[in-house]
Amino acid sequence: MSGAAHPPEGTEAVQPVFVGKTLADLERILTRYPTKQAALLPALWLVQGARGWISDRDVAEVAEVLGLTPAYVKGVVTFYTMYHQHPVGRHFVQVCTTSPCNLCGAEAVVQALLECTGANELGATSPDGKWTIIEVECLGACGFATPIMIDDDFIESVTPGTVPELVKKYL
Amino acid sequence: MGYPHKPHPKETVVLSKYFGDAEARSYKGWVKRGGYEALRDALKQDPGTVTETVKASGLRGRGGAGFPTGLKWSFMPKEKKRAHYLCVNADESEPGTFKDREIMRWTPHALLEGTAIAAHAIRAEVAYIYIRGEFTEPFAIMEKALAEAMTAKVFGDLKIHLHRGAGAYICGEETAMMNSIEGKRGNPRIKPPFPAASGVFGMPTTINNVETLAAVPHILKHGAEWHQKLCLSNPKSTGTKLFSVCGHTARPGNYEVTMGFPLKDLLYDLAGGLPPGRTLKACIPGGSSVPILNREETESTLLDYEGCVAKGTMLGSGGVIVFDDSADMVYQIMRLARFYAHESCAQCTQCREGTAWTTKILERILAGQGKTSDLDLLLELSENMTGKTICVLSDSCAAPVVSGIQKFRGEFEDYITGKKRPVLAA
Amino acid sequence: MADSVINLTIDGAPVSVPAGTLVIEAAKQAGVLVPHYCYHPGLPVAGVCRMCLVHVEKAPKLAIACATTVTEGMVVHTQSPDAKAARQGVLELLLINHPLDCPICDQAGECELQDFVFQEGRANTRYAEYAKRFNPVEDFGPDVLYVPNRCILCTRCVRFMEDVALEPVLNVSERGDRATIGIHPDARLDHPWAGNVVDLCPVGSLLSKDFLHKARAWELDKTASVCTGCSQGCNVTLDLRDHTVVRVRPRPNLAVNRYFICDHGRANYRWMNRGDRIEAPLVRDGAELRAVDWDEALARVQGIVRGAGGRAVTIANPRASTEALYLARRLFARLDWTGAFQAVMGEEAALAGVPNLALRAERAPNGAGATRLGYTRDLAGALGAAATAAVVLVLDETEVAVPTAGALIYAGTVLPESARSAAVVLPLANMAEEDGTYVNRDGRVQRYFQAKPTPGMARPAWWALGELLATLDGGEAPGSAAEVFEQLAASVDGFSGLSYATLGLAGQTMPAGARVPT
Repeated sequence: MSGAAHPPEGTEAVQPVFVGKTLADLERILTRYPTKQAALLPALWLVQGARGWISDRDVAEVAEVLGLTPAYVKGVVTFYTMYHQHPVGRHFVQVCTTSPCNLCGAEAVVQALLECTGANELGATSPDGKWTIIEVECLGACGFATPIMIDDDFIESVTPGTVPELVKKYL
Repeated sequence: MGYPHKPHPKETVVLSKYFGDAEARSYKGWVKRGGYEALRDALKQDPGTVTETVKASGLRGRGGAGFPTGLKWSFMPKEKKRAHYLCVNADESEPGTFKDREIMRWTPHALLEGTAIAAHAIRAEVAYIYIRGEFTEPFAIMEKALAEAMTAKVFGDLKIHLHRGAGAYICGEETAMMNSIEGKRGNPRIKPPFPAASGVFGMPTTINNVETLAAVPHILKHGAEWHQKLCLSNPKSTGTKLFSVCGHTARPGNYEVTMGFPLKDLLYDLAGGLPPGRTLKACIPGGSSVPILNREETESTLLDYEGCVAKGTMLGSGGVIVFDDSADMVYQIMRLARFYAHESCAQCTQCREGTAWTTKILERILAGQGKTSDLDLLLELSENMTGKTICVLSDSCAAPVVSGIQKFRGEFEDYITGKKRPVLAA
Repeated sequence: MADSVINLTIDGAPVSVPAGTLVIEAAKQAGVLVPHYCYHPGLPVAGVCRMCLVHVEKAPKLAIACATTVTEGMVVHTQSPDAKAARQGVLELLLINHPLDCPICDQAGECELQDFVFQEGRANTRYAEYAKRFNPVEDFGPDVLYVPNRCILCTRCVRFMEDVALEPVLNVSERGDRATIGIHPDARLDHPWAGNVVDLCPVGSLLSKDFLHKARAWELDKTASVCTGCSQGCNVTLDLRDHTVVRVRPRPNLAVNRYFICDHGRANYRWMNRGDRIEAPLVRDGAELRAVDWDEALARVQGIVRGAGGRAVTIANPRASTEALYLARRLFARLDWTGAFQAVMGEEAALAGVPNLALRAERAPNGAGATRLGYTRDLAGALGAAATAAVVLVLDETEVAVPTAGALIYAGTVLPESARSAAVVLPLANMAEEDGTYVNRDGRVQRYFQAKPTPGMARPAWWALGELLATLDGGEAPGSAAEVFEQLAASVDGFSGLSYATLGLAGQTMPAGARVPT
């Protein structure tokens, strides 16, 4: 699972996603299931891996490839919170603030991240385009409070004190 | 064990034996540690025999429901007319629970071996391991382990596929998981039909939790009686369980103890008690969907299915969340309600609207705009949300609310009367 | 293979239904309507609204009646305190985000949310959080508006498009209380049967642009009728306000259209309200047509028909009733008669998930009736015969000019230019202004009912032609369309045994192998 690829600002990616290696990946995935529809979640991951997010155009392409309708695929995309429906910053940060982590200071970690990255507002992309930070629900690492994800990296035991160094590592 | 991985003397180390042992992740390392012998033996046995062994062992589902595993396997059709499927629930998203992640990170082959034995018992040709999308590291480790095991051809004809989730707690509900595998929104299905009759792709299916399957090779290796003997209290609760201790605790981590172990000892002894200068206020023993225990109840609860029910709560997933006297119960319950409101799939009216309304009432109370009638309203709303929906997410939201108001009413009233200052903006 | 019968008790009443029946359907037999939203007999069961919760004895929890199958000896209570409390809870929750739009909402008066809240809901709200979720109105397509704020997420519309139209163009988007019905931005809800989602929507969330703000539900007079859009013969209800047809809705008929009509039929009602009608009988007076009373006009026609010898031709509009077509042939029994009609053709559009249901290529409701009464589709041949015929009767056909050397009698609703050379013009009622029958493409004879009064001096065709025949044959004129149908049934092979009484509201299929009269 590589990090998200971002097309340079201003250019429209009009090429189809499912060509070359990505298409080969999808074809391999299709052999795992008795229906094409079952490859939908994996296909959407392939799109997000290639494009960084899933646009309406991508939705239509996935629909065509799998024999589904665009509306159907869009309904699935909007159900699952990990699929981005809009472009996000270079680094997408998810911070768990559900009760077990909340008890251990997760909200302070969120504040530290917002300040340190300049994003300042949850869900917004920082002015330099590098960071988008959101609060998420339980990440399944409650004993390692506070866990955060930066892109595909799962980082345990983050505290306000360790935030600055962590942010520096990803700049 | 806490971190670094060093077992406490009072733990019964079975599943967690190789936590922290990086070599155990590899196929070779696993075989060196006695791995895949149980699978080899199981494949020689009749599927029915394997099922009977697991039935006799008393193993119960470790995902939260505690349904007898062997009995669940026996629900699959006796006559093999259609394709059978096994789905492995690695969607671990229950707040307070972090055991399946550890099993996959450290002993991926344990899960694969258990999966293969279960697949043999239910005569499944294909097994899907549904791993939540956020578990990028466990996914990579499982991928590698699966590739190695496939190369070594240990699974026979069985096809095991990893299926990545995409951020939905509700996909941990077994019928929602099946829908998610089929490429649909993760909506739970109405039952009947039950998965063993019509499951994924309409075919007979069994769904098992990661920890449940990790226990299976041990049962096959050491026998049902060995598992039955691992019991400190009620004979209907046998084996060991990984309890994920988190929150206000000195040594958070997964602790493996025999069923029936006193919760008091888990908290004060194994997990090192509370942070310095703090006292215990409350504890949720089984993940956020079960009722909250107060201090007195916590200190007298035995950790098995019946012991928890006796205290008015449930063993659930074994996610033990500890609240010390500094915890704001109202705020934490609000945060739990918000969790359920975010995760509701939107099918049932009670859940879709009720989880959001519950959250809003609690936020309003925390913003200093609560009324005394709000507490009765919350209780009535929770009653409306219990036992009336397709799945139990709705009930799960109600559990901490009802138990919270019952046992910590004073804290709610403090916000309502103004004795406590608002902590949220109006 | 006989279905076994299950006996159970619902609200104290004994009920016997075939095995496999849902409790919600079985309840209807006991005269009990279990409140519900997401359930619909024409859609697959969803079980999501939770409104139909009922108490089943010996069951651990309340059960949803729409997804519970009857079992022998089951005892169901729909009015038990726990069931009522649960349903009241559902209604309260539906109303916390549902705006108080009744005064401006089209659905008011025919709204299932209003109905059940009035019946079982709380008198006032406890929702003190003030801010309700807000989303702007969306235009889904040619006729459908979506008002997300009013949506109760019953998903009937999604299931209709996915499982009945077999084109999943609607979805549920987002999760939790952020969920709404969605459509892909590049898509439009232009499926030929999409308008049904407006009927299916229990509240005023999916609205018809055509009907928007036209009338209040309680101002509408509703009449059973049959769609005139094509030869499928879907059963409909005409909704009228002040004697004007303002809406067409499907009327359930499991043998024809189940619960649905297509958008073409739905829009096919404006012609019923035309104002440019022939207002009085007209007879030729030199170069002019002079308005007269019915007696004089009928006498003039009588004279023409009595004096005619040789050929007679009837060119009929295939929207004419079976009764009118029958009499229009009998009128010329003495003569060498040719009857023909022209049906406009269009593209067929099936409702894929329902067998044998489509917008049919033949855009006329009674082509089959006309055929069974001896009319042909060979219009060219008929026109050829008409040119030299002694008498030609044009029955409400405005699109075909019929030049003739003989006498032209035009009987219809509007007067086309080509008919201004007629010897006699008779003003007729249109199908919304009379009782009658149509025969659909499957040979099903179906009644339609008078929905509005006839304008001016217009009369139903069966009456005018019936009067004529009475004076010509010396019998008694029929006093009703039913009587005409009786005569028809007695003398035309395929209709024997049928009557208005037996046709009822659902119609009947003609016996197979009926001889077409030569």
